[in-house]
Amino acid sequence: MNSTSTSECPLLLEVQNLHLSYDLNFFEHNSLRDSFVQLLSHPFKAITRPKSQLHVLKGISFNVSKGERIALIGVNGAGKTSLCRCIAGMTVPKYGEINAHGQVRAIFNPSIAILPDLTGRENAYILARLMFPEIQDDEIAELVTESVNFSGLGQFADTPFKTFSKGMQARLCLALITARPSDLMILDEAFDGADAAYQKKIAKRIQKVLEESGAIIMVSHSIDQIESTCNRVIILSESQIAFDGRLKEGVIFYQKLIQGMGDSDLYQQHHKQV
Amino acid sequence: MKARYRKTIAGFLWVVASPIILYCIQSVVFRKFLKLDIPDYALFLLGGLLPWIFLSSTLEMCTPMFSTRSELLKSFKISPFVLILSQILDNFFNFLFAFIVLLIPLVFFRGRAEIGLLFLPFAMLQLLIGVTGFVSLFSLLQVFYKDVRFVIPFITNVFFFLTPIFYPIDVVPDELRIFIEINPFYMMIDPFRATLYFFDIHAFLPILLKGSLVSIIFAMSAWFYWRRKRNEFYLNL
Repeated sequence: MNSTSTSECPLLLEVQNLHLSYDLNFFEHNSLRDSFVQLLSHPFKAITRPKSQLHVLKGISFNVSKGERIALIGVNGAGKTSLCRCIAGMTVPKYGEINAHGQVRAIFNPSIAILPDLTGRENAYILARLMFPEIQDDEIAELVTESVNFSGLGQFADTPFKTFSKGMQARLCLALITARPSDLMILDEAFDGADAAYQKKIAKRIQKVLEESGAIIMVSHSIDQIESTCNRVIILSESQIAFDGRLKEGVIFYQKLIQGMGDSDLYQQHHKQV
Repeated sequence: MKARYRKTIAGFLWVVASPIILYCIQSVVFRKFLKLDIPDYALFLLGGLLPWIFLSSTLEMCTPMFSTRSELLKSFKISPFVLILSQILDNFFNFLFAFIVLLIPLVFFRGRAEIGLLFLPFAMLQLLIGVTGFVSLFSLLQVFYKDVRFVIPFITNVFFFLTPIFYPIDVVPDELRIFIEINPFYMMIDPFRATLYFFDIHAFLPILLKGSLVSIIFAMSAWFYWRRKRNEFYLNL
């Protein structure tokens, strides 16, 4: 495993020996009737059944320094979103530590409305209030106006959000989250809803925001997106870090990893994207 | 609130008019038709029915909220309780408005204001904390146990009759009264009524204490449950 970190830059995030697991008992709930039958047919087994755990992340450790743009990649189910949620503070690790030195902003799906009946602009206003609680009302209004203009939605911004296409929704949310510098920005497949032209436009904006702020962790399956934005790759495989290093080596490692899995369909699918 | 009343003709008016109309109808039915012998029944009913409508409607509206807004909760780092709290405050504002609309004429026609009204903010705060805790707990449970959403309408229907809302607790037989006294809905609503109806400071303080205690227990239970099941919450959404 190769490891890269710009040690001379200030640390923004320290993740140490992170373990995350979910209690699966809630998924095994049967109806009362089934539980009763099970208790009668196998009473010992029903009582002594161990607690099921789903281990999503195992021993994850890495640091993020200012100026780093990290692509977090891995096959589906590798634990990318779980790791991002943990860093964002939405979920809590079972063991290990996460120390974020600064503000962490995260977006996991840009095509979502706060209140679909309100207009795009009104939704942007509420979202801005939720994402940037530290700024004043007049600054929020400016931020929303700038983001709406950047999104290029024109008059559509003042129509109900529920009438927007997925791409239009993504445009507005992405414009908003990248409107202001953050110490650490987490984008989990956030570009997937936007069209290619807008992806290029937003990449430039991210570049600009990054110059003013800290670091970015981006989950994506698009090599173009990764190459134009990132300078470091972390690959998750089977809930662990399989690679942590420079972009070029990371992409090659990932391709080999997929090849090594021996699943030709999976490889073909990712070969197109990565 | 803006989203709730958008594209409605009377919007806010419907929401406020509904408890007022319900109150007027129940007041007439119980006093005139059923001839309940309760002094100052209009004020008595006001102290029980309005907080009950606030509690039950909030419970029914908020319980499925985490499931219906699951995409939103999974998309951004937003505290789930922000969603619940915004709905509770919206309902609380409507409840307050309807309450004041009904209280002013009642006080005016009686020609005197109860000193207990000075203690109303304490009862309201206790009710707000209690409703927030109770609703948060059931909303969280609903994420893990889908039965909850089916049980809530049943609970509110049954407890409307099992809670002394339109009748005083004195009419309940002594041997059954204990079951009413441990009813959490009654404990949360009773301080509110006590400030309006034949206020007595010596009786009010223990009632407020009991109500506050049950409210804090619900709020803390919701908090601890959230702390314990936070990861599974996102998995189950």
